[in-house]
Amino acid sequence: MTVPSFADPVEPAGATVGSGPPEEATRRGVGADLWRAVAHNRKALVGLGLLLFFLLLAAIPGQIAPDDPRAKIYPRGLGPSLHHLFGTTAYGEDVFSQLVFGTRQSILIAFAVGGLATLIAVLVGVSAGYLGGTTDGILSLITDVILVIPIFPLIIVIAAYERNSGLLTLVVVLGVLGWSYGARQLRSQTLSLRRRDFLEAARVRGERKSYVILHEILPTMTSLILASFLGAALYAVLFAAGLQFIGLGDPNSQSWGTMLYWAENNEALGAGMPYWAIMPGVCVALLGAAFALLNYAFDEISSPSLRLRKLERKGVDVEPETAVPARSPDPKNILEVRNLSVAYASEQGAVVAVDDVSFELAKGEFLGVVGESACGKSTLVYAVARLLGAPLAGEITNGQVLFKGRDMVTLADKELRHIRWRDYSVVMQSAMNALNPVLTIGAQMRDACEAHSTMTKRQIENRSKEVLRLVSIDSVHLQSYPHQLSGGMRQRAMIAMALLFTPELIIMDEPTSALDVVGQRSLMVQIKELQEQLGFAVVFVTHDMSLVRHFSDRLLVMYAAQVAELGQTRQLFEKPLHPYTEGLLDAFPSIHGAKEHLVGIPGQPPDLLRPPASCRFAPRCPYVFGRCEAERPRLLEVEGELVRCFLREQAAEPVPAQREGVA
Amino acid sequence: MRFIARRLGFFLVTLWAAVTLNFLIPRLMPGNAAIAMMGRYKGHVNPQALHALEVAFGVNAHQSLLSAYFTYLGNIVRGDFGISLTFFPDTVTHQVLQALPWTLALVGVTTIFAFILGTVIGLVSGWRRGSTLDGALPPLFVITSAFPYFWLALLAIWLFSIKLGWFPESGGYEVTTTVGWNWTFVTDAFNHSVLPALTIIVTAIGGWILTMRNNMITVLTEDYVRMARAKGLKPWRIMWTYAGRNAILPNLVGFAMSLGFVVGGAILVEYVFNYPGVGWMFLQSVENQDYALMQALFLMITVTVLLAILAADVATAILDPRTRERG
Repeated sequence: MTVPSFADPVEPAGATVGSGPPEEATRRGVGADLWRAVAHNRKALVGLGLLLFFLLLAAIPGQIAPDDPRAKIYPRGLGPSLHHLFGTTAYGEDVFSQLVFGTRQSILIAFAVGGLATLIAVLVGVSAGYLGGTTDGILSLITDVILVIPIFPLIIVIAAYERNSGLLTLVVVLGVLGWSYGARQLRSQTLSLRRRDFLEAARVRGERKSYVILHEILPTMTSLILASFLGAALYAVLFAAGLQFIGLGDPNSQSWGTMLYWAENNEALGAGMPYWAIMPGVCVALLGAAFALLNYAFDEISSPSLRLRKLERKGVDVEPETAVPARSPDPKNILEVRNLSVAYASEQGAVVAVDDVSFELAKGEFLGVVGESACGKSTLVYAVARLLGAPLAGEITNGQVLFKGRDMVTLADKELRHIRWRDYSVVMQSAMNALNPVLTIGAQMRDACEAHSTMTKRQIENRSKEVLRLVSIDSVHLQSYPHQLSGGMRQRAMIAMALLFTPELIIMDEPTSALDVVGQRSLMVQIKELQEQLGFAVVFVTHDMSLVRHFSDRLLVMYAAQVAELGQTRQLFEKPLHPYTEGLLDAFPSIHGAKEHLVGIPGQPPDLLRPPASCRFAPRCPYVFGRCEAERPRLLEVEGELVRCFLREQAAEPVPAQREGVA
Repeated sequence: MRFIARRLGFFLVTLWAAVTLNFLIPRLMPGNAAIAMMGRYKGHVNPQALHALEVAFGVNAHQSLLSAYFTYLGNIVRGDFGISLTFFPDTVTHQVLQALPWTLALVGVTTIFAFILGTVIGLVSGWRRGSTLDGALPPLFVITSAFPYFWLALLAIWLFSIKLGWFPESGGYEVTTTVGWNWTFVTDAFNHSVLPALTIIVTAIGGWILTMRNNMITVLTEDYVRMARAKGLKPWRIMWTYAGRNAILPNLVGFAMSLGFVVGGAILVEYVFNYPGVGWMFLQSVENQDYALMQALFLMITVTVLLAILAADVATAILDPRTRERG
């Protein structure tokens, strides 16, 4: 049986869903992973410790308590002493013994109600999510109705008719009313799983629905089911104690709630027996806290975004291979990136996503940054724009980013804020996600204007209309919300926003990838026209080399966090020097070229957590030879281009840094 | 406004479900509690009180279950809940309306206050993730949210009333003061409400801090927050208009969903403090087996919670332009 690994957690509902099957793991592997996660989480440890403590009390109360809890044999209302840790009750019973014996009922209620409510929640939630249609409609409505009806008053009404009802009634009523929150969560999780490939595969295989639910869906929801159980257990402990406290439980039962009932009836707090009233509540609170802490901890364990990771700097600060000597920047360049390295923190250690990258960008130049996904190209440009941070804790570990002569890496946040958007702006991949859904386009433009200028309201409006006209959008859309625009319009609106201050540099991260081919083409033409008209420089990230063929001046090809090749666009297309560039050229059709046979690059990029000490492309390279798997290739200068490949060594000149020397 | 229309529909369905539950519960109990109860009261109370019970349960020997149900529905629509046994010969409706302002003032105000305060703390805590504030508050409130309301109320009375004598022990006002809009009464009522209010706030706030904090952390990974940084907006503006305004949307849904839970706790707080509100009266009616009053109060509590949820829906529609259109 496949069980999900806790290291590969279930995404929260609505998160982007991958297509792969849940990671296969052995039962022992899961246990070990879970244990490691718990052992590293202080909240989980405290919660688990408390729970184990109460389980022990519930299991062997006779061995722990000094007295029979019902023996009314002591002087009444004694204060705490060595014999009576928490004193005695108004009836002459030992409070401590009563507490110990009362544990069992709370634990029983918690686990029975938790189990019952979770069972119903799983049945209802998973069926609703998986079956869909009318079934889903009806089940969801029932779930929502039960969710909003105030449960506790309802339970009191039921208990009022069923006075002094036994434990079983209590468990059934609490369980039958307490499942709705969990069912809601499980339903949305199932909905998001339904679209995954591995379920599609099971359906195609012709598996029965019950099989799919039991063997494919449930195992991936372990953490949600656990959360549902813990939530229901917490609520059961609190509600049961509340019911008993107001006298709707069995007054002869051994429980914390009943103790509180008798304590309150005898005004224990005012009558000098405070521990009689305080300690049962402490126990309820501690057991409740145990469930709440475990729930909170599992939430953290199962959704990685809630965990805060700190970058381990050890082993990350590698000496750059070609240290660029300190020299003042060339005034014809708008941007000079020198030996830039960026690392992400991960559970397994630091991942170097950008490894010693250097490039220059002249004023008004168009540079394309290309490579497969996860090669570090987006990380590179976001590091340049100083926009690293959430969702992943990326950090610049080395290097300089000289923008108009100032080092952006060492710039304070406040100084940085003043040059953002005025001097350089950013266009992101999906305007749908990059535009604030609750503000109009006009309001989002006004924001930027107000942050950087003293323009009047009228001036801001005029400027906003002007930039919208530049990208051929009607100015009525200043009043539109992002979701009211089409995909292409949103993308152009974001470009318009980037033009508000006519900055000298615009960083574009796959601005066209959300569009269809026709839309991509017309947007590229528009970007190029604007660039020629306004004269800004562009750094353009894309995975599709053919897209930028006719628009970019130079291309930077990245592979596995490093520069593979850097040169003139035309030269790269006509005579690629790196085997990887060659592979990329074969992987995409030319927009208006002849029909060609497309060959992808076989294999996967290396794991950046432990990159090989040899050539990173060697395992996928058709020209690989002995040296590639033994040594690390350096960046060579060949015919005015830079390339990282042993094949080009004969034609190479000395590395650029050494050639240029100290200025 | 299709969104609001749909939520209004849901409101009506839930209301109907609560009314029907109210009708069915006495009949579903083993041995038909309603009939048994009627037998017990016959001869002990006068015909008017007996009628009160008949109305509350829809019990009438000459009626079928279905027609009893419709009589019951008709009475509810007219606001006729019969006569209270506890406060005989006063009507249930009159009694309920007397208790309502106390609860609205105490539970209503403190719940909203706790929600707003919890949301703001959660927002700041998520924004300054990993700070001292964020390290201390969320785990602390995980623990306080597990406290039983009534127990905290007991402790508060013991410490602040019995030991320190800062606040009155119980009740909504001193019986010696005249009820009305005079200064003595208002300050006195306020003094009486401090401890119950604090109890509700301390226990209710934790849940909202935690959900808001987690929403905030999720929203901070969104591209529009990165875009706001790219635009060079002031951190204050990013925190409120970009991250906060989006993170509060799921919290409003959470507010609606946990309201029933909070109200359940508030009932116990009123009970412990002998606070003359709906919750206290509800438990009094349970104790006195005044079922007509009890059932009317249960409906009352449910309707109030549902209205609050509707208000949260309206707030969502105002804050999120997408719900306004998608419906």
